[in-house]
Amino acid sequence: MKEIAKVSNVSKVYKTGDTTISALNPSSVSFYAGELVLIIGPSGSGKTTLLSILGCVTYPTAGEVYINGTEVSSLPESQLGKIRLENIGFVFQGYNLIAPLNALQNVMLPLELMNVPAKEAKEKAIQALKKVTMEDRMKNLPRALSGGQQQRVAIARALVSNPSLILCDEPTAALDPSSVAIVMGELKSLVSADKCVVIVTHDMRLRPYADRIVYVDNGNVLTEEPKSEYAH
Amino acid sequence: MSIFKTALRFIKYDKAKSIGVTSGILISTFLIGQQLGILDYLMGLMAAPIDNAKAQIWVADSRTRDVNQLAVIDIKKLREVRSISGVKEAFPLVVSVASATVDKGRTSSITLIGIESPHFNGGPPSDKIISGKIENLQMDGAICADFFDEKVFEVPIEVGTQMEINGKKAIVAVQTKGVRGFGFGFMYTTIERARYYSNLSANDLNAILVNVNEGADIDEVVNRINATVYGVKAYKTEDLRSSTISTVIGTTGIASSTGTLIIFALIAGFFIIGLTMYSSALDRIKDYGTLKAIGASNNYIRKLILIQAVLFAVIGYILAFVLLQGFKAGVAGTGLLVNYRLDVLIGIFVVIVTISVIAATFALRRIKGVEPASVFRG
Repeated sequence: MKEIAKVSNVSKVYKTGDTTISALNPSSVSFYAGELVLIIGPSGSGKTTLLSILGCVTYPTAGEVYINGTEVSSLPESQLGKIRLENIGFVFQGYNLIAPLNALQNVMLPLELMNVPAKEAKEKAIQALKKVTMEDRMKNLPRALSGGQQQRVAIARALVSNPSLILCDEPTAALDPSSVAIVMGELKSLVSADKCVVIVTHDMRLRPYADRIVYVDNGNVLTEEPKSEYAH
Repeated sequence: MSIFKTALRFIKYDKAKSIGVTSGILISTFLIGQQLGILDYLMGLMAAPIDNAKAQIWVADSRTRDVNQLAVIDIKKLREVRSISGVKEAFPLVVSVASATVDKGRTSSITLIGIESPHFNGGPPSDKIISGKIENLQMDGAICADFFDEKVFEVPIEVGTQMEINGKKAIVAVQTKGVRGFGFGFMYTTIERARYYSNLSANDLNAILVNVNEGADIDEVVNRINATVYGVKAYKTEDLRSSTISTVIGTTGIASSTGTLIIFALIAGFFIIGLTMYSSALDRIKDYGTLKAIGASNNYIRKLILIQAVLFAVIGYILAFVLLQGFKAGVAGTGLLVNYRLDVLIGIFVVIVTISVIAATFALRRIKGVEPASVFRG
């Protein structure tokens, strides 16, 4: 299987005055094409820190991060932005659709940032919205959509630029059970021979959708389920 | 979807804040435009005797700096000026302050200008004569009064209206519209009658208007007059104009009051625009963080905010321009003939765009500090 992303001995330490907090202890983990990986752990365990490092929005204190074979942790922010744009799609807990833009414009946004011609960007955005069955709401502003609908538009935005890595931060946390099934069905359908979907969650309902589960506990990344009450 | 359209959608979405920013720009632009329009009008009034006369050279008492403060010179100076090489023609002008009283109306001070007949050089511009002919001034007791004088005298002033000037009978034989002075309204008559109304002797005059021969150098003729005729000073028209304006502005406080208001309009506009855009950026901080997270460069976000600032400036400026035109039309009926010069309008636009862009730096600085990772913090 093709390795899409890898973190190698990465750690993250936050310093506030004299206080040092180790959010992530030295950890290594790889993510491959064709799999949907759940990163599971309790609140404050370090799973979002791991996702931030993997998503190239946070620099690790130590260690290396590879995206499609390129070591990115030493790149400046200006180049990391381009790495994110071309390789990573994001789905956030709070949907994070741009409020003044309608669904179609939100989905077109990554393509606009990549300087794709407007006509081509519109066609691709409509295709992405069709994939999540949101094409009939493409003219609606985010505030006119339900939480589930907003998350489906966010998924369309994440996939429209055809990234190889899709990172989801608690994508179902704010959704009702029927929307959870729809959103997870769509995320599962994105997994392909050249795509990997990584989902950070503490929602145990998502386990059946996972091809692999990575556990994060107390800043440690584990491949085995820890013996804690939270794991169940 | 271009970044321009995205910026426009940000503006349209946050209507309350957008109205706030636009209002700040509108108020600043309107106040600056209004003040400069009025100042330009006043400057025109200050130099009105010069602009109306259309002579190439003005000769006045050697201490003269302001055309509105002309001392008396002797008529011999006129003959001396006429004898200077390069002088094609020279005409006398009498300018004095007089008191006019209209029957059943008020008494008011006027600037009485005496011009030489039958050519009437130095008289009111022909395009501003709305009733009667300039030759009518040759009639007994004839004067030329302005349409807007009725605001001062509180009775209609028209051809045939009788009045007294310094207690002597006069009758309006010519009427102008918009020929006004900085202090008092202008009334024209023949030079002899002006001396009669003002109790001046037949040898008194206040200025000499000179036109030079074709091909003659005006500067050289000015220098020749200054070197030859004692006790007077010759000015090129534009030099006396700027001397008059700078003298009046320097002695009346008009510049400081106008300048203070403009500076406060700029400061108020700057902070209204800056703080409202900053507040708007705070409202949209999650959106800007999301843009950064999905890969928008700082340059893209900087452009997005600056385009919004320029759009606000353009919209506010257009609205203020419409308002300024309304103000101009509204006050025209009172005789306040405000005009906005193109270079002034362009200058205001440049200033407004500049302060909008600078004010946007408040928002830019805040958004620059937003980390892309902030999107994972709920």
